[in-house]
Amino acid sequence: MKSAQAYEHEQGWDFEKAAMPYVDSLYNTAYRMTRNSEDAEDLVQETYLKAYKYYDKFEEGTNFKAWLFKIMKNTFINNYRKKKLTPHKIDFSEIEESYERVIQKNAPDLIKDPESEIFQDMMDEDVKRALDSLPHDYKMVVLLADIEGFSYKEIAEILDCPVGTVMSRLYRGRKMLERTLLDYARKYGYIRGEAEPAKMRSRKDEDKTRRKKEPGTEDDEVQEPEENEEEVLFSDDEDLELELDDEEQQEEFSVE
Amino acid sequence: MHCHDVKRVIYFFLDGTLGDQRQSDLRDHLSACPECEARKVVHQRLREFFRKRLGPVSAPPHLKQRLTRSLRAFAE
Repeated sequence: MKSAQAYEHEQGWDFEKAAMPYVDSLYNTAYRMTRNSEDAEDLVQETYLKAYKYYDKFEEGTNFKAWLFKIMKNTFINNYRKKKLTPHKIDFSEIEESYERVIQKNAPDLIKDPESEIFQDMMDEDVKRALDSLPHDYKMVVLLADIEGFSYKEIAEILDCPVGTVMSRLYRGRKMLERTLLDYARKYGYIRGEAEPAKMRSRKDEDKTRRKKEPGTEDDEVQEPEENEEEVLFSDDEDLELELDDEEQQEEFSVE
Repeated sequence: MHCHDVKRVIYFFLDGTLGDQRQSDLRDHLSACPECEARKVVHQRLREFFRKRLGPVSAPPHLKQRLTRSLRAFAE
């Protein structure tokens, strides 16, 4: 058994010094992904223990924060798969079409008010539910980019996928999120729009729109299968073709 | 650059990752197209709103102690 002094002179102390500054960031993402503090704490602890165990595999000079996030992402996926939850079924083309209809009708009104009171009045619970309605792989990319501030390249490293895939998921994830937020704004009568809700949210979810969501429930799954549905669970089936400046990104983002 | 192109790359424009030439082309388009400019503002506001509302949640104070304890126990 090692004494505390011995520990301080060995790898453990170095690890602690290097890893502890990232607790808040890791916890924040863990909390958003697991949706409750207890699971988030467990996920962060499991991440730290794994990272410590494999600390000698970490390559000096590479991004330590991204390495920790990568371990947490893998741990999250493993735990998620153990629960054998059904992946989301989404129809992105339908989401995009309805988004276009809403935004075209409302863009002029939405920008009239400089303080955007429409959105300020929205409840925190609605914002959380909008985020939670995203398939996990899109949600994680949006969190890593828009909340944690990782670059596309760092996210690609964390998720083990091409930069183009990150951009594709970001594009879709952000659009879905905006679509759902606009849907809430419409429900409360702040903006005009069609009656049909975003496809990615279930009928069950629609029925209890104003009811508080219980942690751990999966009521944002869509039940009905359709021909052009896309099953999403940390998949790489991306098909967007965006024109990008960076040649490497251009190549990777044009994945079929 | 056309309106259709703007819709496809607007998020990356807002991220500032399109590269100098394309960022500049898109800015030119926005200054000449009120419809695309309005959409850009909506995207910007939604993103600001989302960031503000989902700002960082700090780890509970006891978590750091718990991590330190478990790391040391693991090392032993």
